[in-house]
Amino acid sequence: MTTVPLQAYLIVSAALFAIGLLGVLIRRNAIAVLLGIELMLNAANINFVAFWRYAGTANMEGQVFTVIVMTLAAAEAAVALAIILNVYRRFKTVNVDQINLMKG
Amino acid sequence: MPAGSELFLIPGLPLLAFLLIAAFGLRPQSERAAPAPIIAALCGSLLLSLRALGHVAAAGPQQVTLDWLHVGPIQIDVGVLLDNLSGLMLVVVSLVSLLVQIYSIGYMKGEIGYGRYFAYMSLFSGSMLALVISDNIVQTYVFWELVGICSYLLIGFWYRRPSAAAAAKKAFVVTRFGDLGFLTAVLVLSFLGYGIFDFTALAHAAQAGALSKGLITAVSILLFCGAIGKSAQFPLLIWLPDAMEGPTPVSALIHAATMVAAGVYLVARTYFLFALAPAALLLVAIIGSITLFLAATMGVAEDDIKRVMAYSTISQLGYMMLALGVGGYTAGVFHLTTHAFFKALLFLAAGSVIHSVNTNNMWQMGGLGKRMPITSLTCLVGALALSGIFPLSGFWSKDAVLAAIWSSRLPGHQVMFVFALIGVSLTAFYMFRLWFVTFTGRPRTEAAEHAHEAPLVMTVPLLLLAFIAVIAGALRLHVPFTHGGIAEVIYYRREPETTSALVIAGSFLCAVAGIGVAWAAYRAEHISSAAFNARFPGVFQLLKNAWYLNRAWELFATRVVIAGSALAAWFDRHVVDGMVNAVAWLCGAGSRELRRLQTGQVQLYAFVIVLGIVAALIAILAGVAPGIILRGGR
Amino acid sequence: MIADLWHQFLSGSFWQPLSFVLLSAGVLLPALAVVFSRNIVHSALWLLPCLVSVAGFFVLLGAELLAGIQLLVYCGGIVVLILFAVMLTYGVGDPDVRAYNQQLWWGLLGVAVFGVLAGFMVTAQGWPSQPGPLPPDVTGRLADALLGPYVFAFEVASVILLVAMVGALVIARWEPSE
Repeated sequence: MTTVPLQAYLIVSAALFAIGLLGVLIRRNAIAVLLGIELMLNAANINFVAFWRYAGTANMEGQVFTVIVMTLAAAEAAVALAIILNVYRRFKTVNVDQINLMKG
Repeated sequence: MPAGSELFLIPGLPLLAFLLIAAFGLRPQSERAAPAPIIAALCGSLLLSLRALGHVAAAGPQQVTLDWLHVGPIQIDVGVLLDNLSGLMLVVVSLVSLLVQIYSIGYMKGEIGYGRYFAYMSLFSGSMLALVISDNIVQTYVFWELVGICSYLLIGFWYRRPSAAAAAKKAFVVTRFGDLGFLTAVLVLSFLGYGIFDFTALAHAAQAGALSKGLITAVSILLFCGAIGKSAQFPLLIWLPDAMEGPTPVSALIHAATMVAAGVYLVARTYFLFALAPAALLLVAIIGSITLFLAATMGVAEDDIKRVMAYSTISQLGYMMLALGVGGYTAGVFHLTTHAFFKALLFLAAGSVIHSVNTNNMWQMGGLGKRMPITSLTCLVGALALSGIFPLSGFWSKDAVLAAIWSSRLPGHQVMFVFALIGVSLTAFYMFRLWFVTFTGRPRTEAAEHAHEAPLVMTVPLLLLAFIAVIAGALRLHVPFTHGGIAEVIYYRREPETTSALVIAGSFLCAVAGIGVAWAAYRAEHISSAAFNARFPGVFQLLKNAWYLNRAWELFATRVVIAGSALAAWFDRHVVDGMVNAVAWLCGAGSRELRRLQTGQVQLYAFVIVLGIVAALIAILAGVAPGIILRGGR
Repeated sequence: MIADLWHQFLSGSFWQPLSFVLLSAGVLLPALAVVFSRNIVHSALWLLPCLVSVAGFFVLLGAELLAGIQLLVYCGGIVVLILFAVMLTYGVGDPDVRAYNQQLWWGLLGVAVFGVLAGFMVTAQGWPSQPGPLPPDVTGRLADALLGPYVFAFEVASVILLVAMVGALVIARWEPSE
């Protein structure tokens, strides 16, 4: 019986997190940054559920956490996109590196 | 109060007089009373000094030390040391000071700054007495510098005269060169010599072998550098002739009898070091012999009577140094003592003449013997003493010096002896040249025609000093208030009295020869100096310009010293300031680079956060930071 | 019954690893496409298969309700929302077509290091590698937990949703003066 070990899930989630992080750091478009954030949140969710399953299914904390995280991700996406719309109207662009009021 | 505390009064009284005169005696109303405190103080000091001399002869040396300064491992005390040497010096200094001050009442009468004069002279007397009685080398240095200050203030007494101001500066700066050596000696003793400053302790340490030979030699030579400056030895003798710009009593006291003798005193005081450093003694002897010869030659070409005497002083100081160098401790101190009296006498006599005729130039005098008989007679006594004519004091002391040179074992002492003999002739020659031109013959000017004798307050000290100059030779047989002659009282190691008939005859003949030539040239005018100068023009120029020593020092100052200071300035500007500027530049450069982090770009900030997380991960994985405890297998 | 069969099927020795591999590819490859697509619309669209695969992971792990919520909220809600925003901010007149900023290479390096370290981190621990038994009533127990010990978090999350909604409305309001 070959079962998938916990570490496999953890590695996948770590890889997904890294890719999401890359998106946050590299992309110019603000919405692309938001997409990266969503990827990171999903990686965290995978982590939670994997631990719930492998470290004792008697406790439901893993799933509870995941539900809360999804809720917050939705709220955050809504607010973030509203902000991006506002910024777009002010600066006429959604490129993060062009939204800079600092001098010098 | 420990026994012997009254010794502190010996310099203390004149210093107190200084404070009194400085506080109250400078106003025109009170100026006339200015001499009173110092005369009283010096009388007290003289009496105490005589008592002290008697005491030390009866009961041995006495030392009183008070703790003063503790700076880490360094300890500097204040104290007095009364032994045979300092006892004798106290008497000499206080006696000559007293007589000169009495004389000054007449000489400086009516001068502007009368009060200021006596204030400075009091400060000087107190400092000189304190210098002589100090028991440790740091205190000696302090008073050494104080007498230097007084010399500066008194040479430049008539400060509105540019030549006087310049002479005062020159004296101070030139002696500073020497004082640098003295100070270095103190520093060497402080850091390498276990901080022993007290003379008795130093003597014990040196004789017990606690100090290395190299250290002793170095310290001796450095101390002698200080003496070269203060006692106007070659090559720092250039300041003393110019110091004649000061009032004549100043020249008599400071630049003939006492301050310039401080260098000789210093060598004598630290003789226990010199005795263990033959190289230093050789240096002392060489410098002494060069000085005595050069100065004697320079004195021959001078027309200013004070400058002649100044060169004579330098030359006689050379004799004293030479005597100390060849091991004639007693001879050197004996000559110092007799010289103090007859040189002071000569200067005061010159002062009397200058006061009367208003010029220093001997060729504007002449025939003063008839008009100023006391001055003329006392000056003759002084000249005879200086020339070393039997039975005056100078004869005995000069003979002691020559005997010491003759019988010493120092290499080259024969050459030095020859120099000394030539010096005897030259001394006699220039001194009597002065006496004949000034006091005999016909008056050469109106002023000389109407010259008159000095007042009593000036002639009495002259007579007293002349009397002492005559009888001081008796010190050889018996020092007053003590038992025994000077060789028993002032000695380093008891040595047999060495004198030979040859030496006595030789020196006497040389002196008489010198007087004879002077008489022939200037009194009887058988020999013409003009003709001599015509045949040997270079010689006269050389002597008149003091062997171009002034020029040599001037070149040194402008070429070497200025070049050195240019180097130091460059260093200061580029290295020292450069370091400071580098620090500032570093700050600016650092902040410029750090500022580049503040871009306003959020993604850069996020990247920095990632870097922080990576660092934290590394720290946890490396076990450095407390984090997840790694458990192996479950 | 069907659920038991389904689970038996899933925990089969052959199907489970295969599913895992397929789902991993389904997560990671679209994720890379999200990050490295030049076109923002493509990026947003590639998010969809990624999130669906995550839902698949949840099923594989036995949390079916969460898979459902994931599909409804993420795939159905958030992706649509993002697409709306993309449409509203699509810069047609944007002359600057660069997709990546200055940090491209540094970011790659940093994230690579991070990934390697994180990988070390998670595998170095001595965590259990066998899944625990699946209780029969996962959903019921989740409901009990949410309305039991964690009811406070649940309620606060609702409030946050309300606040976010109102906030987003306020921020994104179209001002007549603009």
